[in-house]
Amino acid sequence: MSNSLRPYLSAVRSTLTAALTLQNFSSQVVERHNKPEVEARGSKEVLLNSLTISRNESERVLIEPSINSIRMSIKIKQADEIENILCHKFTRFMMQRAENFIVLRRKPVPGYDISFLITNVHSETMLKHKIVDFIIQFMEEVDKEISEMKLTLNARARTVAESYLMAFDS
Amino acid sequence: MSAPEVYSIAQAPITCHTFNADRSQLALSLNDNNINIYTKQGKEWQVTETLSEHDKAITSVDWAPRTNCIVTASQDRNAYVWSQSLDPNTGRMVWKPTLVLLRINRAATFVRWSPNEDKFAVASGARTIAICSFDPENNWWVARHLKKPIRSTVLSVDWHPNNVLLAAGSADMKARVFSAYIKDVDKRPAPTVWGEKLPFNTVCGEYASLTGGWVHAVGFSPSGDTLAFASHDSSITIVYPGGPMVYTIRLQSLPHVTLTWTAEDTLVAAGHDCQPIVYSGGPGGWSLAGTLDDSATKTGATRVGTVGRLNTAAFNAFRNADTRGHTSETVTDTELHTIHQNTITSVRPHEVGAGGSVARVSTSGVDGKLVIWNVSAVSVGGLAGRLGAMRM
Amino acid sequence: MSFRKIDIDAFDEDVLQESELYDPDPRDPTQVLADAKQKQSTVRSTLSRGDISGALNIALDSPPYGPNVDEAKNIALQTVVSVLNSTKATEIPNVLKSLSEDAQDTLMKYIYKGMGMPGWGDVSGSVLLAWHEKLTEVAGTGCIVRVMSDRRTV
Repeated sequence: MSNSLRPYLSAVRSTLTAALTLQNFSSQVVERHNKPEVEARGSKEVLLNSLTISRNESERVLIEPSINSIRMSIKIKQADEIENILCHKFTRFMMQRAENFIVLRRKPVPGYDISFLITNVHSETMLKHKIVDFIIQFMEEVDKEISEMKLTLNARARTVAESYLMAFDS
Repeated sequence: MSAPEVYSIAQAPITCHTFNADRSQLALSLNDNNINIYTKQGKEWQVTETLSEHDKAITSVDWAPRTNCIVTASQDRNAYVWSQSLDPNTGRMVWKPTLVLLRINRAATFVRWSPNEDKFAVASGARTIAICSFDPENNWWVARHLKKPIRSTVLSVDWHPNNVLLAAGSADMKARVFSAYIKDVDKRPAPTVWGEKLPFNTVCGEYASLTGGWVHAVGFSPSGDTLAFASHDSSITIVYPGGPMVYTIRLQSLPHVTLTWTAEDTLVAAGHDCQPIVYSGGPGGWSLAGTLDDSATKTGATRVGTVGRLNTAAFNAFRNADTRGHTSETVTDTELHTIHQNTITSVRPHEVGAGGSVARVSTSGVDGKLVIWNVSAVSVGGLAGRLGAMRM
Repeated sequence: MSFRKIDIDAFDEDVLQESELYDPDPRDPTQVLADAKQKQSTVRSTLSRGDISGALNIALDSPPYGPNVDEAKNIALQTVVSVLNSTKATEIPNVLKSLSEDAQDTLMKYIYKGMGMPGWGDVSGSVLLAWHEKLTEVAGTGCIVRVMSDRRTV
């Protein structure tokens, strides 16, 4: 399956670079307000078409761009029940600490596991290509982390079961 | 071919910049409520004064060369006209603000003095353009609004050399040419290719790019007979109203957000791909001429490789992951190959050369740098390589 | 009365609607559907002759967009994907070079649409991502920006 990982990540990278063309834009709807248009959704003309990049049925990325912000949602591969639970706990852990991540959204967009909100303020204070690097690295790492957690979980479960059932072996 | 002069003004984004008439002083805003006035001392720019009057971030500034007035527009719905006067206490020249009653109820996004410096145009998020002229009786600036048929925030404006026509690009994907003729201020203008007998708020033309996209920047050519606009669909469109002939150049790179004409057949545009690009052509057609930023061909030739090869850093990282099973961060490179490290927000003509065309332009960017480029130093080779790198 | 529950912004006449953001398709819906079906058969015959560039050019020419033409859009998408599927990986760059700028933009739109449709996962992984990568190399990120900003969604 890894032969489609590279084109998948490069597609996400180029789409993200194209979407991170943000600029400061005051709200047209409320005076003296300046909010991310992709969240406020006040005016139709400042929102752009959302794009989906999918590697297979269970791994997708949705990018919703606008004039001053983009929202990127990732659906992580979850092969079985255990990975479901691990993924949910892992993303929940991160989303509770969303402030430290700066670009993370506290709630995922419905249908996805985790969402990022990048605004023009972020693209002004941080280098755009490094933001893209961060997100791509995140996508690679998350899969690895969940597999690792599943392995340790299984190993621990095996050890526990062995030592418990040893008591009956006589 | 002189190398570009690079000045690192600050670590904050420069939202807008403007020079005075002899280019010895510079006014710019660092993404906050103040304007900093810099004076050239030796090889560096030093802050000599700070103009603070606005409540919210300043979006645009313009310096009138002959009358020596600065106009600033901000997201707090106000504009101020600053003029220098002798301060009786200290005996120095200080900048005093005059509030302009724009009567808009949304942020002001862009401001430009007219060629005769008796009017200025303020673009706003209230779907109007406020044309302000000075009323000597009451000693204040009075605004009249251009409203119809603008349907969304106006992102930029540019004056025609005849002081009456105004081009405006807005977020409803259209670039329009308006007549901003004010009875007591303007003399009746001569007929142009855009029309004649034009009362206030007449629309002389409405243009859009085929693939849509907000119009980030508009510009009249030096004679005023051609209009160019840059829109978010990564294209530059040049309009000859006589035909009407419309030429669209589609870019392979990210959209441009600012442009300026350097001669009747050349223009410089810059934006999200962090380098100024030169386009040239005429009534027969337009095409991309090259980039003003050729630092890649000098230094980064080894890193860039062939066009189309995905940037080697990303490729190596994935190859490591595939063969060795680990992702290492050792190959990443934090610097871009261009001089500007982030979006260029504004490009302005800096110096007029011998033949009447602009010889140098100045650009300011989100990375806090101000760079002055020589317009004739166009290089074609560096462009392709840089695009390959930028695709990362 | 429930004045507090009225959505006042919905009554604002000045606001731009989705439909006003682009020029509508001059052909009427039945015509569009007929065009799409005819293109499908033409493309099939061109493909059987082995002319991939020609087939792709026909498939990408004047795509159906806008409301009311969903069936035509589906047929067009099927047509395009069938051409993409039958191209060998080594031939892709040549085919892409033969496309006009408009055709490249339309192809990118179809690639994204294909990836976004539920149930297309397997096609996506092998075919669409490979085409996306090659098309980005040829047409640049500007092509992707145009897909985002062009309201004439296929």
